Amino acid sequence: MFQQLSEYIDGELDHVNCAEIEKHANNCLACFTCLATLKRTVAICKNIKDQPVPQEFSRKLKEIIQNIPKTTSP
Amino acid sequence: MTAEKNPNHKKIKDKDFELIQAINSGQTDKFHDLVKRYEQKLYNFSLRMCRDHSDAEDMIQETFLNVFRYLKDFRYETKFKNWLYKVAASTCIKKRRKSKFAPDKELSLDEFLPGNETEVPDHVPEWALMPLDKLLNHELSSTINQEILSLPKKYRLVIVLRDIEGFSTAETAQILSLSPSNVKVRLHRARLYLRDKLKGYFENDLR
Repeated sequence: MFQQLSEYIDGELDHVNCAEIEKHANNCLACFTCLATLKRTVAICKNIKDQPVPQEFSRKLKEIIQNIPKTTSP
Repeated sequence: MTAEKNPNHKKIKDKDFELIQAINSGQTDKFHDLVKRYEQKLYNFSLRMCRDHSDAEDMIQETFLNVFRYLKDFRYETKFKNWLYKVAASTCIKKRRKSKFAPDKELSLDEFLPGNETEVPDHVPEWALMPLDKLLNHELSSTINQEILSLPKKYRLVIVLRDIEGFSTAETAQILSLSPSNVKVRLHRARLYLRDKLKGYFENDLR
């Protein structure tokens, strides 16, 4: 059951296994807590903000792209 | 990096389709438009894959150079974004530099079992219950980014693609040339690892 918690969170588990996890978690604080903290971990990851690209690097990348020999491809 | 040769495949016409067609028909100056479109996504992906900025910048440059080199072989069998990440992930895997932040080890499921925790909880911790927007701040983002970097690369790639970049299990499997079940196993262990790190972060700082 423990190994299926991520699939449960992602909605990738069938109804029977979902019901089993819910039934167990509702009667076991250790597993309920594990599930709650795991869900929260996933939510934190999904909400991490991206950093902007430093302008200097963006300029450097543009220069590199402009200098690719046009014979290379496409 | 060449796409599979299947003459009967249906072309996926995503938002990049026309731009790629233009580049491949000779308007190579438009390649920079494609770079601009994905520069930020790839920059952040690379930062999460490489420990230092210089390695991350190298990874982005190599990725875009490879994309330019192989773009004519792109056969629209997946979204361009998925193919781009396949090129980026492959570039990243090749850069297998030894790093103390990226030990190449297996994560065992047993070490994360709830029963193995030193203390059985008597309540659900506050950080799992409070509104997410109250929890998210610069320090937490920085902590989670550091902890992602401390994951072994094979787990890191999976959790970044699934939970940060938002690819599905099937897409992640395709990008990394893994089976979906392998993606699920790695993702679960990576999440449990990060959960442990976050637990330590919140408990140690008495948040």
